[in-house]
Order: sequence, then C-alpha cells, then structure tokens
Amino acid sequence: MVETASDITWEDVARVYGRKIYNFAYRLTGNPDDAHDLVQEVLLRVRRGLPSYRPGSFEGWLWRITRNAFLDDVRRRKRRPTTALPDELDRTGLVSSPAPDEVLASIRLGEDVQKALLDLPYEFREAVVLCDIVGLSYDEIARAVEAPIGTVRSRIHRGRRMLRERLG
Amino acid sequence: MSHLGELLSAHLDGELSPAERRRVAEHLEDCDRCREELDELASARSAVRSLPMVEVPASVLGLPDEVVVPLPRRKSFWAGAAAAAAAVFIVVASILAPDGTALTPQDLSDPFGARVSLDPGFTPTKVAQVRVATGDFAE
Repeated sequence: MVETASDITWEDVARVYGRKIYNFAYRLTGNPDDAHDLVQEVLLRVRRGLPSYRPGSFEGWLWRITRNAFLDDVRRRKRRPTTALPDELDRTGLVSSPAPDEVLASIRLGEDVQKALLDLPYEFREAVVLCDIVGLSYDEIARAVEAPIGTVRSRIHRGRRMLRERLG
Repeated sequence: MSHLGELLSAHLDGELSPAERRRVAEHLEDCDRCREELDELASARSAVRSLPMVEVPASVLGLPDEVVVPLPRRKSFWAGAAAAAAAVFIVVASILAPDGTALTPQDLSDPFGARVSLDPGFTPTKVAQVRVATGDFAE
C-alpha cells in the first residue's frame, strides 16, 4: 500500500496502472481514442493530486480520479459511448489476419461480450469492469464510485445477470 | 426459503463474510435454482474476465506535454531580484563605460569590474593597489 505521496510518482502510476486505466476506459467505451484521452487526463490529475494525497486506499483514490475523469469527459462530449466495436478492434491490433479458426472464434466471442457490456446501464457496466477487468475488491470499488459496498455488490450481481441474458 | 440472489456473485468473488459463506454453502446443497443461477453468473463473470487485456499504445504513455516537460522550478524572490539587478547593472555599465574601454565578460564578473566601468578614474592599476592593500600579495 502506498503510505505517503512521496512513495509514488505519477511516472510510477503511468507504469504500473496505465494499462489498467486504459483497459478500464476501453471496456467502458469500446473506443481506443477515448481510452487514450482518459489515460492522459488521469495522469495529469494524478500529478496534480499526489501532493495532497493522504495515506489510505491508494487504489480507491486512483480509481475515483479515473472514474471522475471519465464521467467529466462523457459530460463534456455530451454523447453516449460509441459502439463502433469491430473497426476499433481492428485498429488496436486485436484482430490479426489471417487467424486460425479458434483464435477468430475467440475474438468473435470477445466482440459479443464487449457489445453486451456496452448495452449495460453505466452503473452496472462500471461495477463489472472494475471488478472483472481491473480486478478491484468490492471495498475498493465502493471507494472509487463513492457508494456503499452493498450497492456495489448489487450492481455487480445485476450487471452479470444482464450480461448473461444478452449473451444467451 | 429465500434464495441467495446477490450473495451468489459475492460468493464467486470471495467477498462473503464467514456467516454468509456458511449460509450459501448450506443453501446450495438443497437448491437447484440457486445452483443453476450460480453457473450462469460464473459463465458471465468468466466471459468478461477472459476478455484480452488490450496493450496500451506507446503513444498513450508518451504522455501530454504538460506531464513530460517538467515545469520550471519557481525561482526564489531573491534569486529573481539578483538577476534583475545584474541585468540593470550590465545595461548601466554599458552606458557609462568610458570611451575606449572595452568591457569584457571577465570585467563584469570581476568585483572590481563595476568600479572600472562606472568610474573612469578607477584604473586597473588602482585595482592592483587595492588588492595589495587587502593582502592579496599574489598580485
């Protein structure tokens, strides 16, 4: 755990958490450009915020910043997250061509799951992504989204049930 | 008998209290419906967790200019004042330097350079005398 602000620099955050932050945004939006912008915005906010960081849950602090940056961006753009998934996957290099059948099937399954995620209401999608993509505990998610842990538990459960219905 | 509901997802995530764990274990032994729901939730959870972690493009962690380029450290008031004073001195010295006296950077860095530049009567010879007088016999 990070005890003081001097224990960590924004470069550490970029190195250790950059990939997770990118994937958080990518799975919430399905859009690599949005993910790109979010990582940079989060790193700027971390850099400004580290001097005032107080010992506690660093993960909760970081993901609260990440979530707020994401929501601010959504409000600023005043648009719904894109669902243009297949092209985006192509651009990120996830799709290689030609691909063996089993790899291609795996990618298609991934596309289905991503589309199902994008269909979820934001609160449920966010809770599922923070739990299953980022790997946070319920307590860390509660700190990040500033909601009671019981609410987090409920959102994850309902989000998974909705996913299951959409995936068939 | 009430069913387990959201306790099932928490069970999959290892987020139950000891008492809840016991309740879930006992309930699952006798409830087909909850076992089926547990399987479905596990399937959805596994589907999300099996999504590949997307590698971050190099450009993302190249970071924006505001981050990459360190902001210049703010100079102290006295450092700024000294720099301003030095700039004023150089300008004044240039104006007041006697004709034919070429100022060099060495002149300006010499503690006596100021006197040389500002006082036409203050010659290098006098400088040497002062130095001797202050005990610098190497001169």
